[in-house]
Amino acid sequence: MNRRRQSFPSQVLQAMTILMLALTPARAEPPPAASSAAGHWAFQPLRRPAAPAGIHPVDAFVHATLRTNGLTPLPPAAPRELLRRVYFDLIGLPPTPTEVAAFERECAEEGELENRPTGKGGEKAGAHGSGVPAFRIQPAESAYARVVDRLLASPHYGERWARHWLDIVRFTESQGFEYDRPRDHAWPYRDYVIRAFNADKPYDRFMREQVAGDVIEPVTADGIVAAGLLVCGPWDQAGNSQANATQRAITREEELEDLIGVVGQTFLGLTVNCARCHDHKFDPIPLADYYRVKAVFDGVKHGDRPVEGAVDAAARTRRREAAQQALSAAQAEVARIEADGARRAAAAKPPVRSDEPGPVPLFRWDFAEAGPAGVDGRFHGGAMLADGRLQLPAAGAFFQAPVLGRDVREKTLEVWIALADLAQGGGAAISLESADGTQFDAIVFAERQPKKWMAGSEGFVRTRDLDAPEETTSPGTLIHLAAVYSADNRVALFRNGEPYGQPYAAGPLVTFKAGNARITLGRRHLGGSNPWLTGAIRHAALYDRALDAAEVATAFRAGGFVISTAEILAHLNPEQRTAREQALAQMEQARKEIAAAEKAGPLAYAGKREQPAPTKVLLRGDVKKPGDVVAPGALTQFPTLPGDFALAPDAPEAERRRRFADWLADPRNPLPARVMANRVWQFHFGQGLVTTPSDFGLSGARPSHPELLDWLASEFIAGGWSMKALHRLILTSATYRQAASIGNRKSEIETARDADNTLLWRFPPRRLEAEAVRDAMLAVSGQLNPQVGGPSFRPFTTSEYGATFYHLFDKGEPEFNRRTIYRMNINSGKEPLLDAFDCPDPSVKTPRRGVTTTPLQALSVMNGSFVQRQAAELAKRALQSAGGDLPRAVNAAYEFTLSRPATATELTRAEAAARERGLASVCWALLNSTEFIYVR
Amino acid sequence: MCGDPISDSAPLLSRRHFLSHTAGGLGGVALAWLMNRDQARAGIVPAAGSARLPHFTPKAKRVVQVFCCGGVSHLDTFDHKPELERMHGKSLEGKGENLGFFGQPGKLMKSVYEFRRHGQSGSWVSSLFPHLAGCVDDLCFVHSMFAKSNNHTPATFQMNSGFTLNGFPCMGAWLSYGLGTENENLPAFVVLPDPRGLPAGGSINWTAGFLPANHQGVPFRTHSREPIADLHTPASIGGAAREADLALLADMNRHFADDHPDDPTFAARLRAYELAARMQLSIPEATDLDGESDATKRLYGIGDDANKGFARNCLMARRLLERGVRFVQIINGGAFGSPRINWDGHENLKENHDTQAATMDRPFAALIQDLKQRGMLEDTLFIWSTEFGRSPATQGIDSPGRDHHPTAFTCFLAGAGVKPGHHYGASDELGYFVGQDKVTIPDFHATILHLLGLDHEKLTFYHNGINRRLTNVEGEVIRGVLA
Repeated sequence: MNRRRQSFPSQVLQAMTILMLALTPARAEPPPAASSAAGHWAFQPLRRPAAPAGIHPVDAFVHATLRTNGLTPLPPAAPRELLRRVYFDLIGLPPTPTEVAAFERECAEEGELENRPTGKGGEKAGAHGSGVPAFRIQPAESAYARVVDRLLASPHYGERWARHWLDIVRFTESQGFEYDRPRDHAWPYRDYVIRAFNADKPYDRFMREQVAGDVIEPVTADGIVAAGLLVCGPWDQAGNSQANATQRAITREEELEDLIGVVGQTFLGLTVNCARCHDHKFDPIPLADYYRVKAVFDGVKHGDRPVEGAVDAAARTRRREAAQQALSAAQAEVARIEADGARRAAAAKPPVRSDEPGPVPLFRWDFAEAGPAGVDGRFHGGAMLADGRLQLPAAGAFFQAPVLGRDVREKTLEVWIALADLAQGGGAAISLESADGTQFDAIVFAERQPKKWMAGSEGFVRTRDLDAPEETTSPGTLIHLAAVYSADNRVALFRNGEPYGQPYAAGPLVTFKAGNARITLGRRHLGGSNPWLTGAIRHAALYDRALDAAEVATAFRAGGFVISTAEILAHLNPEQRTAREQALAQMEQARKEIAAAEKAGPLAYAGKREQPAPTKVLLRGDVKKPGDVVAPGALTQFPTLPGDFALAPDAPEAERRRRFADWLADPRNPLPARVMANRVWQFHFGQGLVTTPSDFGLSGARPSHPELLDWLASEFIAGGWSMKALHRLILTSATYRQAASIGNRKSEIETARDADNTLLWRFPPRRLEAEAVRDAMLAVSGQLNPQVGGPSFRPFTTSEYGATFYHLFDKGEPEFNRRTIYRMNINSGKEPLLDAFDCPDPSVKTPRRGVTTTPLQALSVMNGSFVQRQAAELAKRALQSAGGDLPRAVNAAYEFTLSRPATATELTRAEAAARERGLASVCWALLNSTEFIYVR
Repeated sequence: MCGDPISDSAPLLSRRHFLSHTAGGLGGVALAWLMNRDQARAGIVPAAGSARLPHFTPKAKRVVQVFCCGGVSHLDTFDHKPELERMHGKSLEGKGENLGFFGQPGKLMKSVYEFRRHGQSGSWVSSLFPHLAGCVDDLCFVHSMFAKSNNHTPATFQMNSGFTLNGFPCMGAWLSYGLGTENENLPAFVVLPDPRGLPAGGSINWTAGFLPANHQGVPFRTHSREPIADLHTPASIGGAAREADLALLADMNRHFADDHPDDPTFAARLRAYELAARMQLSIPEATDLDGESDATKRLYGIGDDANKGFARNCLMARRLLERGVRFVQIINGGAFGSPRINWDGHENLKENHDTQAATMDRPFAALIQDLKQRGMLEDTLFIWSTEFGRSPATQGIDSPGRDHHPTAFTCFLAGAGVKPGHHYGASDELGYFVGQDKVTIPDFHATILHLLGLDHEKLTFYHNGINRRLTNVEGEVIRGVLA
């Protein structure tokens, strides 16, 4: 006791500084052993309890529990309080004074339809009163029911409820971690969620689309964007691209844990992610189940992707193929004409071919003098042997030699190549790569600098940009290139026998292992983006040593195929020149067409997909301790629902997620409907029936009203998973419509019995969330730009210093006066006003927000330029609406902000203040007032 | 929740009863709220996770942490390795997979600085830190630190939050949550970023994660006239007008609170505005260095360009600690751009560390001395930390740089409850792996919490299915560093 008293002041001080509400979830007693998991309430099939007739079912359940605890509910809230409440709940904006007046009038006309507790004339029955007052079921045609319908039909409804969803799935618009790069195309997922709520998309479909929308037939643009859920969290770009393989693997495992966490918690209310290193401590989720689920999502990678349905994609492919054919034909025509010119040029002036033999390579691939047996290697993707050259006509074409029979470390790569065009970039003429493509050395064209060659390598570790001339040789003309890699890590490039740029020392050479490396012509490396080179190769060679400059020159001279474009042109007749010009123009046109066809509509940060290698259990979650291979599947320990998909470990990536989506939405799965019904309840009452909304497991809270939860979940499914029907069900209850307090009397007995109002003996007042505070200020000042959807507004400038930095600004232009959900949600670019009102860190899964009251929060509302501006605008608006009459303007300001007129006392005081310091002063106080930022 | 000293309900009810009758003032509002929460915990549905008192008598009341971005080389600062000198120029062998970020080790490289013994403790310090070398008898080195990641940001996150991912509460936020503040007119957790620039990730580095937002670090713009955003009343509004406005607002809020006695939060907002008004005075006062003596300014090196403004931050840290801020984090180094403004000496270690040490050595040594001469080292815990160490081999052949190295590095503690002039743990002969008494970051954090009177297994917050801890499911207090 002494100890407690000693430390008391610090506790008190903290409490005075901070007022934190609603963050202490109710929890179950110490979790029972896993053996009792099968009997855990949340895993049982849904049971739809019978609801008594004559009373709203929600009220039947809530009032029964109140009765048991000797409590009675409060009478209905006053119409304008109720209206303000339901506006903020459904659309996150306050009603206008006109709407308030109309609603009050209609309610008065409906008279007795307003439910009153019997015999008390609006005075609430005491906690010891005689039973629960009789609440009538609100008629569907009442003024209130019409308001609910109207708000549910408002486009702002989706904006309001999408924000809740984005909290749960931790939607972010930047990468986080070190670089925190902006994600320019993350917003389509946010818009998808808004549209889904507005369209009342059935929740089972909403779920399925977010895990597999990109692979559920028919694939739609909406489906592709929906699956953006899988990648809407932070991503460690540096960790994914570092050289250390173990650390890279760990980075990827953590990425997947986060992904599995968001899927499990969002849809199932289960912390599946907790079973990564060991069987779940509380819930029946064995380690192997985690890895089964991991196998489902193992092929999901971060990144932008084009948004288009299957039909559009097919049309685009056709268009691209047609253009590709035109390009190839034109290229062939140019080559044919130039070959003719070259023949005549050679006849006129035979090329000087050195008699001196060139150095002897380890391997040579000679396409000019290929015998009947052909060349040792395989042609892929449209690559072919024609006209004495390896033809690489289009992206996807490459030639691959057999694997090396011995280790190669120092080396020289050599190639004679004619580029199809100089506008291309990123492809390699020749590449020595490891079997998985993660290590390579290659002669790469125009990847980092337009029209320049460089020595490409994984992560550019052996690459430098060279101070060398841009390539100018006309398409179709052979040039000779060599890249020399010396034992001292020096790299030197040569073009037509001459040094190309300065040699340099970079990252150490890697050893390409016998049996695990090969030469590829035409592709930079396996798995690279945009790795293709188009053109033709006459021959290529690999030396297992570093040639010196003289040897490279000799090799060039020994090849001796160079005839300049000028010489070729000089030997063409005028018709040929015209035909060549035309063909070149056709090539240019075809290239533009290809580029256009490759632009597959808008992009979305919806992630890329790969077919993953079979997934192995990692013992203790350690990437260095792989165990057995597991097949993709779901949770296996729920008795009513099999989690085995009967898929092979190497099942197609798409099939894995489709099956998981089916499993989630299976009517036998008892969790998703319970979890979502509880979330909807929580956002209406501030606290869920289960207070741990993303944890329905054994360590989560038990429901305060288990029968009500099951009833809501059953109704939810029976109503076709309609969110709007669920809202109506809850909002029409007397429990929702009851008052938050009676007069200014303290509810002594009730607070003594249920201080947290867990049992809902009154409507729980709630502070507006950060976004609603800002939106409401804009709404009452008349500055809100109601534009729905589209790219996020960016109230910041950026700078780069290794990482991206965000410098916030505050501007009053319409673009920045859109609702806060459209503010670009950057990890390191949080806005002080929103931050102070507990806007969560974008990378934290936040099923329920904190509510704090702090001095920093007060400072940002007191002094922030945004609030000052809204106060001034509100003053202008109020004066205008009052025709310049100050007392009426003061009253109007009250009506706009608080949805009520000022009392006589308030009016006197505020009017005096307005006369002395301007109406904006009064508006500033109203925007700062508790009454404005709380909903009751 | 066993062992939580405030979880039993009976005394609280009486305390609550007491307050509801006596506390008419604003303080009583918060107390009443506190009581409500306590009761909720003991009431109808059991609750979990909330702020609490120290678990036992603390040695330290406040913390100052210097965090060095980029990764300071242990081998060139505090971890003297004669064997590395002997092996200079030889190949690194027998250590398994290369641990570097860029994966291109060259030959072993001895320290680029001379090492000498200092103080009565005879502690080895390199010539890089002449001023800190004078403080060694107050410091307690941990030479056996072990980080999970070789990648800057995950390693930074781990040192600051215990986890390598985004979104976990930082140590300062945990302490604010666990202990609250001693001065309500200042934030409990203040961050003083390097004047050259923010660290990579910016505000992610002082997030409260899933803890309530009031626990997050408040970054001070130490070289600005307005140290925190929205501190000053806008210039267009006169002081007298603002006072009148605040009176009008207080009147509105008081009436509203009085009309709703069931909702103590309404009254807490009144209190928040009072505190805000006081912060408008207390923050400028705390950050104004003009009143400091010339001797003090000289001690820190205020005005010396070489420290790039870091001296100001160190002196400001002392003022904040004096005024009751619980946790001051001074960041030394910024993001990973070019030119380098942190300790990430990939290309040329000596050139890099020379520049960085010039910012830190003198001001930081001055801070230690200053706190000591004021008697504050008794109950202030000092932490000097970084992301990871640097490799004993060069990065690339014949390069003078070192790559990241997570498997052995050095940090130090000093002050309250810590053995002075002590060395704990050791790296192996080359400084490659931990040689003895491995200290993981959770161990390090458990020890820091212990010194503050907190049991790292009991300082928890429920979030999405888990009672989260700073130390996750690991961590043991390093008894060997405790005085």
